[in-house]
Order: sequence, then C-alpha cells, then structure tokens
Amino acid sequence: MSTINFAAREINFKIVYYGPGMSGKTTNLKWVFQQIPQNRKGEMVSLATEDERTLFFDFLPVDLGEVKGFKTRFHLYTVPGQVFYNASRKLILRGVDGIVFVADSASNRLRANAESMRNLRENLAEYGIKLEDIPIVLQANKRDAPDALPVEMIQAVIDPEKRFPIFEAVATTGMGVFETLKAVSREVLSRVASS
Amino acid sequence: MVEPAIALFGGTYEKAARILDELLRESGARYTLLLDRKGFVLAHKEALWAPKPPALDSLATLIAGNAAATQALAKMLGEPRFNELLHQGATYGLFVEEVGELALLVVIFDKSVPVGRVKLYGKRAAQALEEITQAAVVSPGALGIDREYREGASALLDELFGN
Repeated sequence: MSTINFAAREINFKIVYYGPGMSGKTTNLKWVFQQIPQNRKGEMVSLATEDERTLFFDFLPVDLGEVKGFKTRFHLYTVPGQVFYNASRKLILRGVDGIVFVADSASNRLRANAESMRNLRENLAEYGIKLEDIPIVLQANKRDAPDALPVEMIQAVIDPEKRFPIFEAVATTGMGVFETLKAVSREVLSRVASS
Repeated sequence: MVEPAIALFGGTYEKAARILDELLRESGARYTLLLDRKGFVLAHKEALWAPKPPALDSLATLIAGNAAATQALAKMLGEPRFNELLHQGATYGLFVEEVGELALLVVIFDKSVPVGRVKLYGKRAAQALEEITQAAVVSPGALGIDREYREGASALLDELFGN
C-alpha cells in the first residue's frame, strides 16, 4: 500500500515489473531512466550479476511532481525473472501498488510467460492478495522479434479472460515503454482515490 | 494493498524526529533513518558535522531489501526474524534494528564510534519509536486521496511521459 509522509508532504507508490527471465523488465527501467529529465529521477540501483542478469532487483525512483501540495513519487522495481530466484522475487512484491507484467513475444517463450504469471499469482496469494485486487497492466515486449507471436495468442495464455489492458512494446527502442507505465500509474491512482 | 501504511505527521512526526536527533547525539553516529519495510523513508536526521549522505532512496531500498532477505533466512532457521543487523567495514558501520513489524531504524556510523554505544542507544530508540509508529498506522482506505488529487496527478503523468 502506498506510503504517505505528511511531514515531508510526500506520497509514494510502488510499481513492480514482473515477468519471465530475459523478457525485458530491466530494459524498460533503463529506457525510463534515460529519457526522463535529471530533476525528475533519483539514482537507478541495479543488483545484477556479471552478465547483467538481475540478481535481486532494479530500483528507480521517479518524481511526478507536486499535486495538491504533495510531492508524488513512483518507485519502480523489477524482479529477477529466472525461475530459481523465486525467494527474492517474492520479497520485492511486498507492499506493491501496481504491476507491469512484461511478456516475451518470442514463440519459444510462450510457456515461460504462462509459468511466470502463475508464479505471480502464487506469490501474491502469500501476501493475501488476488490478481484482481491489484492494478495489473500487460506488456507484450520484443514485438520486433522475427518469430514474434500474435498479441492475441500471448494474451490468451497469460490472461485468457482479458481482464487486464495489454500494450505492445519494443523496450530496446522505447516503443510502448511510457504508454505501459502511464497506464499502470493511472490505474494505481484511481485505485487509491476511489478507496 | 493489505499492508497497512504508516503516516507520520504533526506531533507524531516531531516526536520521531526528536528521537532520531537524540540518538545521533548520544551515539555519535552520522545519520539516523526511520524506514518502513517497503523501503520508504519516514524520517531522517543527519549530524551537523557529517558530510552529505548518499542517496537516501537508494539506501532505504537496499536496507529494506536486505532486511527482507535476512528475515527470509531467519524463517528458514525457524526464527520469525532477526531483530538486529550489523554490517561493519574498515571505516563505516551500519546498524539496523527492527521497529515493530512495519518499520526499521537505521544508524550509520564511522569507526570513531564504539559499536556497543550504537547498539545500546539504538535499541532504546527503537523501543520508543515502536510506540510512535504503531500509533501512526492507518488503514489503507483512510489516506484521504481524493479525485482532485487523482486528476492533478494524471495531468502530470501526461506532462512527464507525453500524450
């Protein structure tokens, strides 16, 4: 749940990028970090291995600006996607306000997408949260891959009931990155405002 | 979502800040911080003589991540959690003491300060802060974010990320 610091007049939201290994979660964050102006972001923290695979998490604070006298900030996190890092992946979900699920469009990763979504559901359940309790936005990344599957096929596997909005993206070129982040941020805001 | 939020403000915040200040003075440490377990800074104090601290957001995030990981380790050993963590390098030390279930007290000190002093005063401060943070826990619905706020924030999203 979002944190309000009345003394510092700050409202903080936590957004987590989830998805299978190598689907492009860190690349999403790197693009955001590169593109937004210096005064609107903090330092990006990456806990990664030598070959730049995320080991624990990446972290990026983004300043939205001031609303009604409150400084509003989004803290963006990624999880390590590799299957065997579930213990640390689960930790990152603590207190999450919104989730971006980054799916890989490559045909040989369809199953990995499905497994990661199941894993997300199980990890959230341990915190007593159901998928529908939390704003979730899907991103079909790597649309530029030569063997990219149709978006409908990816959606059919990770979200057969079509409950969540889905965006196409090529995170390496920035396509769809801001659209996805904007969509999840808006849903997070409307969720807290209506509650 | 189910996690309650800690909202420190007014007199409660002042009290917490005073405890952090006192702890700085008593222990001789450089920086003291009160974080929630999600890695957000609730309050912080710096000693006047100390240089500018590293990015507080990064510090808070890494400390909360570290505390969460060690808590998972503790559970594997049949312990609900470790109440204190101490990291010591050649020059700097980092002491983390839990403040109830939702918050963490962090003390950053250098080698001029004996560890025992940090622990002694740190524990005392953590106890005092526990009462304060417990009183400051609000249910997620009571945060008072309204439609006007949402619309304002939404406009800023467009400004920052383009339409």
